[in-house]
Amino acid sequence: MTVTTVPAAPAGRPPPWRDQRVLRAGAQVVAVGALVAVLAYLYDNLTTNLRIRGIATDFDFLDNPSTIQIAYSDFRASQPVSDAILVGVKNTLLVAAVGIVLTLVLGTVVGVARLSGNLLVRQTAAVYVETLRNVPPLLVIVFANSALFLQLPAIAEAVDVGGLLVLSNRELAVASPVVGDSFGAWLAIVAVGSVLATVIWAWRTRVSDASGAPHHRVLWSGSLLLVTVVGSYLALDGPVRLSHPSVVGRGISGGVAMSIGYGAVVFGLVIYTSSHVAEIVRGSVQAVDRGQGEAAEALGLSSGQRLRHVVLPQAFRIALPPIINQLLNLTKNSSLAIAVGYAELSALTLVLISQANPAPQMVLILMAIYIVISVVISLLANVVNRRLQLVER
Amino acid sequence: MARFRARHVLGTLLAFALLGAACSDDDDEPAAPDEGTEETAEGGGDDEGGDGGDGGGDGLLAEVRDRGSVNCGVNNAVPGFGVVDDAGEFAGFDIDYCRVIAAAVLGDAEAVEYVPLTAEQRFTSLASGEIDVLVRNTTWTASRDGTENAAFVTTTFYDGQGIMVRTDSGIAGIDDMDGATVCVLSGTTTEQNLATEFNARGLSFEPLSFDEVDQIREAILQGQCDGWTSDRSQLAGLRSAWPDAEGGPEGLTIFEDIISKEPLGPAVQDGDDEWYDAVNWAVMATILAEELGITSENITEQLESEDPAVRGFLGQPTGEDETVVDPGLELDPDFAVTVITEVGNYGEIFDRNVGPDTALGLERGLNALWNADEPGLLYATPYR
Repeated sequence: MTVTTVPAAPAGRPPPWRDQRVLRAGAQVVAVGALVAVLAYLYDNLTTNLRIRGIATDFDFLDNPSTIQIAYSDFRASQPVSDAILVGVKNTLLVAAVGIVLTLVLGTVVGVARLSGNLLVRQTAAVYVETLRNVPPLLVIVFANSALFLQLPAIAEAVDVGGLLVLSNRELAVASPVVGDSFGAWLAIVAVGSVLATVIWAWRTRVSDASGAPHHRVLWSGSLLLVTVVGSYLALDGPVRLSHPSVVGRGISGGVAMSIGYGAVVFGLVIYTSSHVAEIVRGSVQAVDRGQGEAAEALGLSSGQRLRHVVLPQAFRIALPPIINQLLNLTKNSSLAIAVGYAELSALTLVLISQANPAPQMVLILMAIYIVISVVISLLANVVNRRLQLVER
Repeated sequence: MARFRARHVLGTLLAFALLGAACSDDDDEPAAPDEGTEETAEGGGDDEGGDGGDGGGDGLLAEVRDRGSVNCGVNNAVPGFGVVDDAGEFAGFDIDYCRVIAAAVLGDAEAVEYVPLTAEQRFTSLASGEIDVLVRNTTWTASRDGTENAAFVTTTFYDGQGIMVRTDSGIAGIDDMDGATVCVLSGTTTEQNLATEFNARGLSFEPLSFDEVDQIREAILQGQCDGWTSDRSQLAGLRSAWPDAEGGPEGLTIFEDIISKEPLGPAVQDGDDEWYDAVNWAVMATILAEELGITSENITEQLESEDPAVRGFLGQPTGEDETVVDPGLELDPDFAVTVITEVGNYGEIFDRNVGPDTALGLERGLNALWNADEPGLLYATPYR
């Protein structure tokens, strides 16, 4: 009997140096390793050189007094640098928040207008879009500032519209509600009134169910609520008042005031960004398959229903990701405000750097804050996006 | 717009500049990062031909001589001090001091590369070695010596921060300015002085920071700002160019109050004493020349002067043994002759750029010589 030893056949897997999976994983490890090495090398060089040049790399300066004052804020020169940065963040977010809301509204209106059957509306929207989206945003902001806001009357000749609106080329202000001393008492009375109204509502419902008599519950509880709200409001000597803006000295006091720099930035960015959003809205509506509209028509939906239930929901899903991009652009473009003297984050950072705060650290902080703001806006928008995607199912 | 972006990544640029410089430094001295070795770090990278400079050593002075030009950080928007004129040439008081330094170090006043910088960029640019010297109406302060690692040479212009308002505004002095909106140029020390001054007087105010003088001009024209605070020399520059329709220069009033001291002068990077001395004595030579009565007009006669002080300063043989004074500054013994011939003495530089016969119309004031009829603060240390 002869025994032949056959070499063991390769067991399913090729050796590692020819294994596709190993090679792929290896390539990725090498790529990541190279990236980390380059970053480490750059970071080491940076810190070494900063040290050789005697430039401090710590962040202790954040606790030093800022020594500057910031326009249209309560910030004082004795407060630390970190507080000044927070004022900048607040001012940037004020531009972003108000700007985003107005941009979405205006952009949607103009985008839909571009699809209008009315020639005049359609062409006006087209001119708006083509003019604004082909101009750099800095130009739009500077133009808004110089040609619009700076042309308002000087503070001494400020226009006062019935105590509700004050316009000057320094600040703009509108009347605003303020809470009086008796606001708490009024709120308590209204709360009690609401509870009573609910009880009466339930009682009338029960009476109606039992006897079949008309319940009149809206009349009963509604009038009770009205009497408590209005009656106590009048009795309590105005728990909520209107603060009227007026010119005092060289500024405006009362109401809600904004500097013209803020006005110019928000106005400029909104009209600029909305021209892009309008194009996205128009394109998205047109991107919805024509068959969808025809199918809805075949089902007997009116044109309004067709738009609301079939076309727009699908258009929104297409439009959202590019619109998020535009909103991020708006937020970052707020840094152009330095051109019109509005103290947002970037402008303040530059001012702080010139007060002997170290530039590398300040710019790192600046970048980190913009990244955080952008990521938060993206996350919020993505939540909305996901909701819309689920609706599709 | 490109400029705004550029400014926002200022620090990033600094980082990259440092990264770039590091490539050559890294091997030289990985274990010696103490602050005394800055000269090595600075000169080591670019000195390809070894010891090419006639000054010896491997500092910035040798590097500048190898290169054949001085990189001078300047302003390009302040009339009288640093502007680009109608012919597209840099001109002004600070520009002339760049030329003085080039004349002293290289023997040629035109061997200057002008690098226009914004107020925010200037110290980063100096620290990264992009410029050799900063002559950009820069105030000498303690934190700039300390934190920014700049070293200031002799002050060339004693300035003070002032406030300017429209003459028709009815504001007669700082105390009338409660609640006022005040324009400032961002990136300057003026914001801090403004806050200190107004807080000390118990006045409230709103500071509006702009990064261009033109924007401030428009803000004052339209009445957005009640006043502008800046160095008085800068205020005089804007005032001289105020439109006739608004009353010309008389339409603006500069208050007498000086709210801060602003000594302006050239600055170099810390740690290179040889270069510092060269720049300092180039500046000092212009002041000394005025003290000795040497001008670009009479320099030829002065070369024949019998006065040993004049002969020594101009690097001419003195005394019976015909010695030439060489204080060992690594400059040519007769560097002052080149400076005065090609640029002029202090008085000539002042009169030509900002003096009474120019649009700025500034008097010498604090910038007169210490021994003048109306004495000022200019004082050159002796050359011997």
